[in-house]
Amino acid sequence: MMILLLVLPLLSALLMLLWPRIAPLLALFSAAASSLLALQLLLQVAEQGTRYWLLAGWPSGLAIAWQADTLSCLLILLSTVLQLLVGLYAFATRSRDKLSQGFWPLSTLLQLSLTALWLSRDLFNLYVCLELLGLVAVALVSLSGRKAIKPAFNYLLLSLFGSLCYLLGVVLLYGAYGLLDIAGLASQWQAGWLSNSALLLMSLGLMLKAAIWPLHAWLPAAHAAAPAPVSALLSALVVKGPLFILCLLWLQLASTSQAQAMAPLFAAAGLAALLFGGWSALRTPFAKNLVAYSTVAQLGYATLALGLMLTFDQPLIFAALWLFVLAHALAKAACFLAIGEMSATLGGKRLTILKGASQTMPLAMFAFAVAGGSLIGLPPSGGFLAKWALLQGLWLQGEQLFWPLALVFATLLSAAYVFRVVVLAFDRADPVAPDFAPQLVPQWLALLPALAVWAMALFSEPLLLLLRLEAL
Amino acid sequence: MTELSGSLLLFLLTAASLVAIGVYGFIIGPEPLRRILALNIISAGIFMLMVVLAYRTSGSGATELAADPVLQALVLTGLVVAVSATAFALALLARLEQSSSEMSAPLQLKQTEPEQ
Repeated sequence: MMILLLVLPLLSALLMLLWPRIAPLLALFSAAASSLLALQLLLQVAEQGTRYWLLAGWPSGLAIAWQADTLSCLLILLSTVLQLLVGLYAFATRSRDKLSQGFWPLSTLLQLSLTALWLSRDLFNLYVCLELLGLVAVALVSLSGRKAIKPAFNYLLLSLFGSLCYLLGVVLLYGAYGLLDIAGLASQWQAGWLSNSALLLMSLGLMLKAAIWPLHAWLPAAHAAAPAPVSALLSALVVKGPLFILCLLWLQLASTSQAQAMAPLFAAAGLAALLFGGWSALRTPFAKNLVAYSTVAQLGYATLALGLMLTFDQPLIFAALWLFVLAHALAKAACFLAIGEMSATLGGKRLTILKGASQTMPLAMFAFAVAGGSLIGLPPSGGFLAKWALLQGLWLQGEQLFWPLALVFATLLSAAYVFRVVVLAFDRADPVAPDFAPQLVPQWLALLPALAVWAMALFSEPLLLLLRLEAL
Repeated sequence: MTELSGSLLLFLLTAASLVAIGVYGFIIGPEPLRRILALNIISAGIFMLMVVLAYRTSGSGATELAADPVLQALVLTGLVVAVSATAFALALLARLEQSSSEMSAPLQLKQTEPEQ
């Protein structure tokens, strides 16, 4: 079944190249079938515990190690469901937006590389997944034509540089230990200058690819240049891949002293991302750039949670990290689809075109506002759940004043940039007239993930339980 | 191992300097083609390091000198990835040049218009 999760998208992507005419249907079919398979895998793993595979029957050490724990299964389910939603949106708007035929096979390959990445526990296999993910993401950005080529090219160069840094770290580790799978490495791990430099090199590469604060400069340009469905996929899923590997490295491999030394850096980078990303989102004149900067800021929460997790080693903070990732993925997909829909209908890229959008396109604006509520962390949304888990985890550590205050400040900033859009949309005096009658189906599709992120609160108990168990 | 260490050190130093040259070129070079080449030089350095390490890890334990097959397989995979990434980068670069020449062509026409 797990093999089907990979073979199905790969086969359908190849078939799409053969028969471009039925490509959209194939892509939707493969995404729908993969979602069902992922759900089944999640239920199975939640019931029977973590499953392990050694590919092709090689003995451990030679074989590529794969592992499906609840976190991996949740992430697979998230990526397949978002793939399906975004595919439906792209299908609904395909004639209007003149989306290139290349979108279908590429987005299916994106799903494939993400699924492989969530499952893999082998450093070199992770490198291959990472490289595949980066190439597919760049190709998707370049789909929107001439203006996107320059940001896509910069993205490609930085992404390649990041993966080479990662590869160098992997080679150093293999030279020292002769092992590639993470569990084996963790049992032999020794803190020394070699493992220090390997960890630092790998983290540098991954931080560059995950757009973590000082290395985020490529993200807004690339994500804003891409077509709306592509930006939704990039912001919701692609940047989470490197983040996942970063967490694997620091939480499973690094020794306590190494983790303690790195923790303040991650926490500071997260805080800086929250402040600078939020500030840039407040200042930018373009609608899509606002959402892209908000991705930089929201990734700051995940980085901050990683830093705090390394300091305190508290399972609740680990749960908070992945709740942030899940909530942000759903909310950001809704934001990008809603903004894309509005700027296509109202005709423009600037934020000012959204003037009076609550009147002209109430559904899309509602989707943005609802998703924005989760970005801010209003109860009872997924974003609130994540923040609550983080605060509770901090509280259990005793007297902590600085981090809760910083979180409150970051929340105010995100509220400011979300309300910047909402206020403009409710300015009904002189609304921007739509170029054509707004389409209902794409707006509903933008609303779905936004509703899903609020529905996360309904499943808060099992979600927290699953993720907390994963940290132990 | 002892009689090898001289040439081993030379190989390691060459690999390290290739990586260093590549990183320098990547950070300094403003020209896109140069940066692609710099990335290739970095990957050449990393692959060289892998090949040298394959020599060393099996040489230290066993009496006969057989190279570590895992690293050789990794080098092959890495080469495939590097070739396809370079091809993609070059294709994007060609598209970039094409679109920038198309954009600059109408501008030149406009500049000549007042003279006519």
